[in-house]
Amino acid sequence: MISVHELRKRYDGNDALDGYSLEVSRGEMFGLVGPNGAGKTTLIRILATLVKPDSGHAGIAGHDVTRDPFAVRAVTGYMPDVPGVYQDLTVEEFLTFFAEAFHLRGARKRAAVERALSWSGMAERRMSYVEQLSLGLKQRLVLARTLLHEPKVLLLDEPATGLDPLARIELREQLKRLNREGVTIFLSSHILNDLEDICSRVAFIERGRNLPGEGSVLTLRSAAKDDVLTCEIEILGEPDGITAALRAFPSARLLETRGNIYRTEISGGSQRAAELLRHLVTSGVAVLRFDPRGPDLEDHYRSLFGGKPS
Amino acid sequence: MNPMIGKELRQRMRERRGWLLPTLYLVVLGAVVIFFYYFQVAMHAAVQGSEIGATLFLTLTYAQLSVLLLLAPVFSAGAITIEKEQRTLTGLLTSLLTPLQIWGGKFFASTLFLILLLTSSLPILSLVFAFGGIGPKQLILATLTTLFVLATVSSIGLYCSAFFRKSVHATAVTYAVIIAITIVSAAAFGIAMSHWTTQRQMAMAQQRSPAPPTPEPPPLWVRAPLYINPYFLVTLSFGGADDWAADGVPSLAAFLLLFLLSFALAVRQLRNSGEQT
Repeated sequence: MISVHELRKRYDGNDALDGYSLEVSRGEMFGLVGPNGAGKTTLIRILATLVKPDSGHAGIAGHDVTRDPFAVRAVTGYMPDVPGVYQDLTVEEFLTFFAEAFHLRGARKRAAVERALSWSGMAERRMSYVEQLSLGLKQRLVLARTLLHEPKVLLLDEPATGLDPLARIELREQLKRLNREGVTIFLSSHILNDLEDICSRVAFIERGRNLPGEGSVLTLRSAAKDDVLTCEIEILGEPDGITAALRAFPSARLLETRGNIYRTEISGGSQRAAELLRHLVTSGVAVLRFDPRGPDLEDHYRSLFGGKPS
Repeated sequence: MNPMIGKELRQRMRERRGWLLPTLYLVVLGAVVIFFYYFQVAMHAAVQGSEIGATLFLTLTYAQLSVLLLLAPVFSAGAITIEKEQRTLTGLLTSLLTPLQIWGGKFFASTLFLILLLTSSLPILSLVFAFGGIGPKQLILATLTTLFVLATVSSIGLYCSAFFRKSVHATAVTYAVIIAITIVSAAAFGIAMSHWTTQRQMAMAQQRSPAPPTPEPPPLWVRAPLYINPYFLVTLSFGGADDWAADGVPSLAAFLLLFLLSFALAVRQLRNSGEQT
């Protein structure tokens, strides 16, 4: 659905994108992760037909973003990181204007506006001026605006920026709902937990380039199949027992300790994790919590970029 | 209908200046009429009514043009930059609106407000009919040439607005262009005229020939700077058909060229302004 091949873009002598490539399948919820200045926004803006690449190819639903921008816009909804709104229009006027801007007329326009009002839960506030809305509601309004023409692909650049936790949870649920309805979603975010919750795959980008080898794209929600698991073990009592027990178990490696919580890497998948639990219990360790997981996004991010996510 | 037009008009008329500016504009023109009339009556008691009418009309037309030249950049130069400043331009550029539609909506809305001001001043301008010396033809021609000048200035303002990121820069450059076409062009004409007159007098003195019975009109290179002067174009509306043929048509062509050039550049700039958003 989204195809990016060897994309290059330079700004003032600096490479924003340096031969980046990517494929997103139809119906996927796909995340884009990288440090600040890695080229995420440039890539999304090229896909949204705002910026022309210097070379390479980018296409959405078979349409080239440079040669056929209007065909791309007809099937794409784009929400920038700081979306602008017309403060002096009412919610209904705002949506009606954009419905007309997407060539919707008459009954189709009215239906699209009603659908957007109902989808965003703002039917009751249709006559409110946009300036009277909270940031979360404005974000919801802009998302509703991007859906007016029923796009097949949504491009979202840091959609959770500035939202409070409740608004973020709501946004995640809305995106999941859209994805279930068949909309392909491509989003960038610094909030790795959000991406982990909603995305099926994430791609990494650094200095406008793909990361070498397998680390370039990570498939999420497949923890059970992974060989290497990360396990959080919470214990009661003295720590001596668990350190000795872990040292005695060849497939386990202690990563870090926080109070009574031991973060451990286990090689060999779920089977070895079960064996480790049995080994700890038989060694007399009072295990309060045992939580094996596949490689999480934050770990992967740390291993790729080092330090904490920016 | 272009959806931009409806949105622009709605937003314009919700601004405070939507009603404040027409009010101030009419107050200024009314003050010009009152001041002029008392000045004429006090200073030249014996002057004829038709002469008062013609002079008042010329004064009012110039005053109207001056005020509108000051106002035109307020509506046009900020029209696209405000979309950049409020980050709403990306919404327009990623919709199915073409750059031509975006320009058209902005141009129509800014010019329509100026038309509103021009129309609202027609009753004041029509006061001159009471004195005589001016007919409806002159009134219509003066209004149309003023409108043509304002459309060109709006087009220049829109280009500046598409080019710059901030309204303050776009407005400043548009005012600089207005100064160039009004004051600088008049100064250039004055210098060229003085140079030509001196040359001519020296040539006549060398040849010892008498001055011609009818004054010779200045050549094209002397008159050329005036062709982009708004006051010159509006003044031509008081002249006859000969004035139009000699100077009106080239002046209109010069303004048309400015209009088309700034229009083409603005649309081209809008096409590439995704980089600026």
